[in-house]
Formats: sequence, structure tokens, C-alpha cells
Amino acid sequence: MTPLQFEALYEAEWTELEALLDRVLGRTGRRSGAREEVPGDRVAALYRRACEQLALARARSYPAYLVDRLERLTADGHQVIYRQHEFGAARVKAMLLADFPRAVRAQARYVAAAAALFLLPTIAVGLVVYRQPELILSVVSADTASSFDRMYSPSAEAIGRVREATTDWVMFAFYVRNNIGVAFQCFAGGLFAGLGSVFFLVYNGAFGGAIAGYLTERGMAPTFYSFVATHSAFELTAIVLSGAAGLRIGHALLAPGRLTRGQALVGATRDSAVVLYGVAMMLLIAAAIEAFWSSAQWLAPSLKYSVAAVCWIAVFTYFIRQGRRAA
Amino acid sequence: MPTPSSSKPEGLPARGGVLDTVVTTETPEGILLELRPAGLSVRFYAFAVDGVIRLAIIYAAAIGLALFGQLGLALWLIIIFALEWFYPVVFELMPGGATPGKRMFALRVVMENGLPVTAAAALTRNLLRVADFLPFGYGFAVVSMLLRRDCQRLGDIAAGTLVIHQPRGAPRMALGSVEPVVPVVPLSADDQAALIALAARAPRLTSERLDELAALAAVVSGDAGRRGPDVTRRVLGVAHWSLGRRA
Repeated sequence: MTPLQFEALYEAEWTELEALLDRVLGRTGRRSGAREEVPGDRVAALYRRACEQLALARARSYPAYLVDRLERLTADGHQVIYRQHEFGAARVKAMLLADFPRAVRAQARYVAAAAALFLLPTIAVGLVVYRQPELILSVVSADTASSFDRMYSPSAEAIGRVREATTDWVMFAFYVRNNIGVAFQCFAGGLFAGLGSVFFLVYNGAFGGAIAGYLTERGMAPTFYSFVATHSAFELTAIVLSGAAGLRIGHALLAPGRLTRGQALVGATRDSAVVLYGVAMMLLIAAAIEAFWSSAQWLAPSLKYSVAAVCWIAVFTYFIRQGRRAA
Repeated sequence: MPTPSSSKPEGLPARGGVLDTVVTTETPEGILLELRPAGLSVRFYAFAVDGVIRLAIIYAAAIGLALFGQLGLALWLIIIFALEWFYPVVFELMPGGATPGKRMFALRVVMENGLPVTAAAALTRNLLRVADFLPFGYGFAVVSMLLRRDCQRLGDIAAGTLVIHQPRGAPRMALGSVEPVVPVVPLSADDQAALIALAARAPRLTSERLDELAALAAVVSGDAGRRGPDVTRRVLGVAHWSLGRRA
């Protein structure tokens, strides 16, 4: 058989497969709203035949344009047939109800380590600054320190971080950006053998501790703690969890076991993806609470503390109990 | 022309040895797919185009949302945040598997096995930009891309993704300008493939170079030792005969 005969023999199949693949991949050029049905069995059958024909064409050293065309056909078909579908309401529901808490429990050791790295500096620095408030100036500038005073003074009408703008919506946007940024940094730092995660956890913990110690010493404890109590249930947990995911990939790099470092890293990140989805969601919740609930001055602190207790218990119960049964 | 051999270790180039950066991956049908990783410069251009697009969106949003006062400002901040973290993720999960900038340079993001990028991988590779960016200006990404034959940055390594050139088809051979010539010596499959490859490249070569190359294969048409346009035409005729054309 000559190349030209080969081409003439299978030309019809290839054009049919090309047309089908173009329809699946949305390359028809026509922007029709409704995606027409594509006969899947036909695509699969034609794809497998194209694979055989490609093997033949290569083995017989057929001309480049033939082999190239078959290579493109098989590459596209491979993409269409073995595509992984991850989205859908059922997947999201399963993730929320089972996968996310399970993934967190599977990484319990890293979560404990991340929590220690985050909380110990918080407590230590908090106590030190409480004893010697002037040390706050070694963490932040004098301007920032005085802005904390203004922010949490009991007479302020809205409490919280720096308020350039006045509405809760603007603060929501600001918190989302800031907090998710911090959490993602804690995760990405894991690529440097976990050191980046350690640094970001310790740094953010120490920073928070410094502010808490300083404000407590200045007698602003009621405003400050009633402000942070509720959303920290989600925010601090999320930061610790993303730090744990970062430590996990760092550990995979340092101690890959029987895998190559690359394989260990890919495996660890794949398992961490679910945690990151969950963390992003928790931070959205935290930002909403922080902007609309925590900053409201007209709510009595006692009410805020009760809600905060409920949130903390809910978060812990969720991670300890959810998804235990076979789903 | 790669010969299919299933014993090839993963990740080794199929051909070209040291120079070619092709990454091969095997499908369940036993077909070797060739992926061509995109280099640092073209990826930088795509990134720059994406940056311009993002800025344009941010400016357009600023002008439009300025009418809505504080709520507009909030929406604008959220838009900036979403663009900052999720602009590449969303576009890479679309059927084309590429951001507008990558599409402009005919690049796409795929998994290492050539499949479309998964949501988890797209998220991972783009969140890890934070690490790639360090110490400044994507320093780690640049070093990693220059050191690796498959041009992965740190985020790509962790997510198991590649940025590849979209495959382009070879142009169809122009047939019919040459009379097929029956070879005077028996030709092996490799000889035929070499002749056909020469004929396919003929339109892109200067006539002197084509004569020089054809002279190397002159033995097939019984012109051993001679060269010139006539010899070239006969050698190309043998190539067309190998393709299956008969006068």
C-alpha cells in the first residue's frame, strides 16, 4: 500500500472524526447557544481506528503531512475521551460534606504543627508586648500603632482595621483580598522545603499577637476581642489549614520516601487542592462576618461572644465529625 | 520520524536527542503523543499580553463603577482580587486551555500526559505563582524554566502541568508538478521516507541547495555522480513514485 492509497482509503473517516472533534471542542466557528449532541460511541470508535492508523503510518514512515494530521487527530481525541470532569453540584456537595474535612483529618499532623507555629508566637509575642507596650514599635511604625488606637477606641463608630472607606461592602472586599492573600502565601511558601510556610505562619502569628497584647495593655480589650472573636473562628483556622498544606508539600520535598521528589510533590499538592478549595470558602465566610457583623458597634459584646462561641464549636465539630460515615 | 517503541522511559524526547525539547507521553492505546513545551520568551510575551488585558479590565471597571459610589468601589476591589488570583485559572479551564495572552501565541496548558488541565491543577499552578514570583520578578520561575528541558516553573512542577505550543499541521505536499519516475534501485522504507521528506521540503529550499541535496540521492534515478536541475527533477520524481503516484 502506498501513502496515497492509505490516505484515500481512510480520508472519509478522518474528516468525520475531525468534524466531530471540532464540535466537541467548540471550534466550529459557529457560536450556537445550544451544544448539539455528539455521538460519543462514534467518536470513540473513530478515535481508536485513528490510533491504529497512526501506528501504521509511523511504522511505514509515511510522509510527514499524513503522520502530522493523524497525530493532531489522536491528540484531540485523547483530550476529549480522557477528560476529567470535576465540576457539578454533586461534586461540590461531596467536597463540602466529606472530602474537605476528611482531607484535613488526613493531614492532622501537619495541622497540629501549623497550629503550633501560628499560636505559640501569637501567645509569646502577645505576652511580651503586654508587658512592654513600647515593643510594638519594633513590629509596626508609630503611625500604625496610633491608628490601632483610633480603630479600637470604644468611641469609634465602626471598629476594625484601617478604614479609609466607610461602607461594609468596601471592607468586605478589602478583607477578602488581604486574608486570602495571606492564606495562599502560607501555602505557596511550602515549595521552599516548607520554610516559607513556617515563616509566614510565625510572622502572621507574631503580628497578631503583638497587636492583641498592645491593645489589651491600652485597655481596649472589650472592643478588640469582641471584634475579632467571631470571624477568627474561620480566618485563623483557614490560615492554619493552608499553612498545614504548605508544610505538607514542604515535607514531601524533604522526605519523599520511595518516590522521586517530583512525584512526592505532585502527590502532596493533589491532596492539598481540596483543602485549598475549602480554605478559600472559609475565608470568604470570614471576610463577610468581619465586614458586616464584627464591625457593627450597636451589637452588645455579650451577643458577639455567644455567636463567636457557636462559630468556634461549629468549625471544630465540622472538622472532627463531618464525613466520618461512608458517604 | 519516531518509531513507536513502548519501552521508552517517560519524559525522554522522542527524537532529536539533545537538541529537541519534545516531551512524549503514551496514551492507553499505546500511541506516543509528542508535546512541545513553550520556552521562556514566548511565555513571557503571553504573560505580558495578559497583564495588559488585566489592566484594561481594571481601568474599564474603574470608569464604569465610579458611578456607583462606595458599592462600586467595593465591587471594583473584588474585581481586582478576582483578576489577581483567578484570571488564569478560569481561562485555563475553558475548552481552549489558555488565557487570551497564551492563545495569542498559540500556547495552551495541559497536564503532563497531554490531557486537558484539571481544576485542581489549574488552581495549584496559579496559586503557586506566589512562590514563583520570589525573590522578585518571577526569579524562581525563570531559573526553573531555564534549567528544565520541559520548561516548567515551580507551579507547573507541583501541579504536573506543561505549557505547550499548539500543534500545527504540516502543509500538504504539492503534487502534480513532477512526473513520477520509477527508481532503478530497490528502496527500503527509510530511503523512501527520506526521499518523500526531501520532496515535502523542496518548495522551501533554494534551487542550489535542493540540487545539492538531490545529488546525494541521485543514485535512485541512475544519475549517480551528476547534479543539476534535471537530476533533481528525476530524484523528486522517484519521491512521488514512492508516494504512490503512477504516471
